[in-house]
Amino acid sequence: MSRDLNMKVNVLPVLTYNFLHVNDSALQLSDFNIENLSSPKAGDLPAGVSVREGVSFEEAGELFISNKDKILVAKEEEVNPNGVTAARDASQAIRTGMGADVDGLMINMGAGVDVYTVDEGVKVDKPIILRYDMADGQGSLSGQVIHAAKNSEVTVIMTYTSDQEASGFHGVSTRLLAEEGARINLVKTQTLGNGFIHFDDIGGACFEEGGINLVTLELGGSRVWSSAYVYLAGKESSFTNNMGYLCRDDHNLDMNYVADQRGKKTESSMNFKGVLMGTASKTFRGTIDFKYGSSGSVGDEQEDALLLSPDVINKTMPVILCQEEDVEGRHGATIGQLGEDLLFYMQTRGIDEEEAKRIMIKARLESVARMIPDPEIMQKTQYYIQNII
Amino acid sequence: MSNNTLLQVKDLSVSIDNELPILNNINLDIKPGETHVLMGPNGAGKSTLGFTLMGNPHYCVTNGSITFDGEDITELSADKRAKAGMFLSFQNPHEVPGISLSSFIRNAYHAQTGAPVKLLAFQKSLKAAMELLSMDEAYADRDLNVGFSGGEKKKAEILQLLMLNPKLAILDETDSGLDVDAVRTVSKGIQEYQKKKDGALLIITHSTKILESLHVDYTHVLVKGNIVHTGDGTLVDEINKNGFERFVKED
Amino acid sequence: MSDNKQVVADIDRSLYDFKDIENEKDFYRMEEGLNEETVLKVSEEKNDPEWMREFRLKCLKLYHEIKFPDWGPDIDGLDMDKISSYVRHKSEMKGKWEEVPEDIKNTFEKLGIPQAERESLAGVGAQYDSELVYHNVKDEVAAQGVIYTDLESAMWGPYADMIKEHFMKLVPPTDHKFAALHGAVWSGGSFVYVPKGVKVEIPLQSYFRLNAAGAGQFEHTLIIVDEGADLHFIEGCSAPKYNVANLHAGCVELYVAKNARLRYSTIENWSKNMYNLNTKRALVEEGGIMEWVSGSFGSHTSYLYPMTILKGDDSKMEFTGITFAGKGQNLDTGAKVVHQGQRTTSVINTKSISKDGGIGTYRSSVIIQNTAKQAKASVSCDSLMLDSISRADTIPGMDIRTNDADVGHEAKIGRISDEAIFYLMSRGISEEDAKAMIVSGFANPVSKELPLEYAVEMNNLIKLEMSGNG
Repeated sequence: MSRDLNMKVNVLPVLTYNFLHVNDSALQLSDFNIENLSSPKAGDLPAGVSVREGVSFEEAGELFISNKDKILVAKEEEVNPNGVTAARDASQAIRTGMGADVDGLMINMGAGVDVYTVDEGVKVDKPIILRYDMADGQGSLSGQVIHAAKNSEVTVIMTYTSDQEASGFHGVSTRLLAEEGARINLVKTQTLGNGFIHFDDIGGACFEEGGINLVTLELGGSRVWSSAYVYLAGKESSFTNNMGYLCRDDHNLDMNYVADQRGKKTESSMNFKGVLMGTASKTFRGTIDFKYGSSGSVGDEQEDALLLSPDVINKTMPVILCQEEDVEGRHGATIGQLGEDLLFYMQTRGIDEEEAKRIMIKARLESVARMIPDPEIMQKTQYYIQNII
Repeated sequence: MSNNTLLQVKDLSVSIDNELPILNNINLDIKPGETHVLMGPNGAGKSTLGFTLMGNPHYCVTNGSITFDGEDITELSADKRAKAGMFLSFQNPHEVPGISLSSFIRNAYHAQTGAPVKLLAFQKSLKAAMELLSMDEAYADRDLNVGFSGGEKKKAEILQLLMLNPKLAILDETDSGLDVDAVRTVSKGIQEYQKKKDGALLIITHSTKILESLHVDYTHVLVKGNIVHTGDGTLVDEINKNGFERFVKED
Repeated sequence: MSDNKQVVADIDRSLYDFKDIENEKDFYRMEEGLNEETVLKVSEEKNDPEWMREFRLKCLKLYHEIKFPDWGPDIDGLDMDKISSYVRHKSEMKGKWEEVPEDIKNTFEKLGIPQAERESLAGVGAQYDSELVYHNVKDEVAAQGVIYTDLESAMWGPYADMIKEHFMKLVPPTDHKFAALHGAVWSGGSFVYVPKGVKVEIPLQSYFRLNAAGAGQFEHTLIIVDEGADLHFIEGCSAPKYNVANLHAGCVELYVAKNARLRYSTIENWSKNMYNLNTKRALVEEGGIMEWVSGSFGSHTSYLYPMTILKGDDSKMEFTGITFAGKGQNLDTGAKVVHQGQRTTSVINTKSISKDGGIGTYRSSVIIQNTAKQAKASVSCDSLMLDSISRADTIPGMDIRTNDADVGHEAKIGRISDEAIFYLMSRGISEEDAKAMIVSGFANPVSKELPLEYAVEMNNLIKLEMSGNG
């Protein structure tokens, strides 16, 4: 089936000056094909984990709708920040980084969602692995829901791979619910070919002492959207995010990450490390949102962008929103090329500039790649990084 | 209570956030002019006692009372205790950006006395006190404790002690993290305060370095929230030799 | 300590809030609303040259075409049909305070302007509602060739061409809706020209007072600091509080020539019914330095982001700002900078304080164009939250188009720690004073950039706000 796409995604939680062109991103495509509408299978599942395959997007979302009050913890005292965009995504079962238009696409296309449930108290030590191995010219759209019941823990690794020169379309929606004391570790590695259009949309919520840990590597693809919106609804819930990206040639990467902190003593920590080369462009949006009632919470966000060519475009929107006295929020960004001191140091050890750059790219991306909890996938990813630089 | 007691602590128990008590039934009498030393191993509750005496709202008095200069101050806020003549030298004094050390002392002096500060006289005595403490004059204009080294922070605390001239000074681990020269200088400042008629001291410490050149009237040993032993100044020497082992065992 | 957070002392705002009962027959007030007729009437009042009248009409058309911004504070409470865009006293502008009408002179006396002029300023302009009522520059400064005058008369004088060449070129009326509005109905403001190499040792000041209820003030400030020259310009604003909305949509255009330096300081204390939609912009040539010092305390709603274009190589910009958002206020403030030249440097340092339900938003943009090799930009913004009914939001943006640039950004949000308060209280300082002291200390990096009198005024404003009577 061939069709056109005209989506508005990655809407900033609060709008700012239009001339910066960061308030949202247009995902426009014409005449493309999607023939694969299901998620790859994990094979044998560990005890205590079950899956319902091929559920409709709406039905899969009911888990979040039935928990909406607990996720939103709406309070009367809430005052909106200037230019708030929350209403736009209110129709979503759970708000995601890319927003309502992804829901619309999933529903219209009839994409299937696999719903994984981890039973109460079950701690799975072996990761569940979902492999998307894409062929040239292929189109795929699918989703997952990962539901970790009370005090359970699960690790899911998703890999997106294809031949280096392959083209195609690849869209994934992953929605997460970590109940009381539960922990979801989600690892995504994207090493798709140079002609791939790829989006990865995440929405998640944590109840009391629940946690979501994300590790994401966006290394391939020509146009990439990568986003997450995580609600820290319960007391002492936490969200950590470690992302590494490589954006080269004329590729484009567009990100929208939000930690929405509502419970008391919640913690968010988001780190973004990346490299821009060629004429690549990247837009990073990162928001820490301390809602009324989030007293005792901390939020920390760090962006570290290495620019290796004179013609890259790097846009950064680090936002902190706050309606709570007793919180600590911090954002830091360092953007620039390889430091002269570091370069000089390396040169005194006989390493030339090109080699020094390679070492630094590798160092950045590998520090994230090392977090992949599967030795084989970690090695493959490191090999990919090695090859590309 | 005898009439000339300055600080009387009676059956004092203290806890944080409704957890188990950190201090149990503490009793302590300090008379004007006396120097008391409170010693004990790490984690005994020494700093808790200092903070509680000064009225840190984080510490909750669950039993007993604190009387200062004949007035029950158990419920008073820290500023009222300071106005009554108490002083606490902090182990880790807070950094306050934007307020210079000298203007802070001037503010505090004014808040305590209510009297207008005579600028020239103030500057003169500040200069003298800084000289005594071998503090570079430039520190007077630097933001309060901001970027001060550990030693300079402690000196700045003693400087405030000398300038504010309280009836009772509680010194919390004033010697920790100081080199030999700095200990000597800080000691000199404390002696200067002792010279003052009737100025009383409660020195909280887990080492004895700072006490070498000071006259001590009483020594209390605090172990696990209890005062397990009280002796005279010679107890300091004994602890210096043998440590706290004997008292820990007694407990 | 936490149970008596709001200590309300008995200080009033009368210093700024007194109203002069306007003697109607002494004032000319244009009818409310905005249309071609009112714009032409302003033009006629101003005795505009032909080009200016046409410009105004063009701006009016643009005003109707351009949409309201979709990103900032809500401005639904602002109804242009209820705003009079032109109010003036029927007497002429004076060069001596004695000649200024009594009621107006009294207002400025209460604000301490004539006294400040005698003691510490090189020249003063005083605007009351839509017109300047007083303008004077010290003889020795005038002797250096410094021009400090009202814009209207300058349009007919020897600098007419210079004005035509620069007027609303830096802030074109197409920029945003309120820039267009400004172009249509602007009135009052100052023109300053500092000739090559002239260093003005003491500051010039303009003071803007909006006294009429339901009126708008649209003054235009145009400053040209020529090669190697140096100027400090201070802007002060206040107004009494009314129950109807007032509007301030001024425009400031600053040209800093090669190796020149301009410092532009503002203490804004508009009353809390004011919509402050002000536009300020500077263009800096090679080796020039632009310094902004900005204190925002007043207004109901503010959109204020002074912008600097670092056009010339080695030009520099420094922005130091503080915003205090109290009860009923929505202050959206920050700075914008565009790096074009090589080795250009920008430093943005802001502090924001939110209290009693106020909304304080820091918003900025740092743009480094591909030509700005070896540019350096650093942004640091700190917010202090004094309770949980207020908001402190930080929305900075960066757009970097060269790798040969060094960009750092640091944002922090926090509160006054209990330990810091206890430390100060243990020295005998009351809780209320301890908090005020810490807030003043927090604001210190801004106040130390101001001349002493203004630093004192700013600290008084902080005390006023801290006491809940701001």
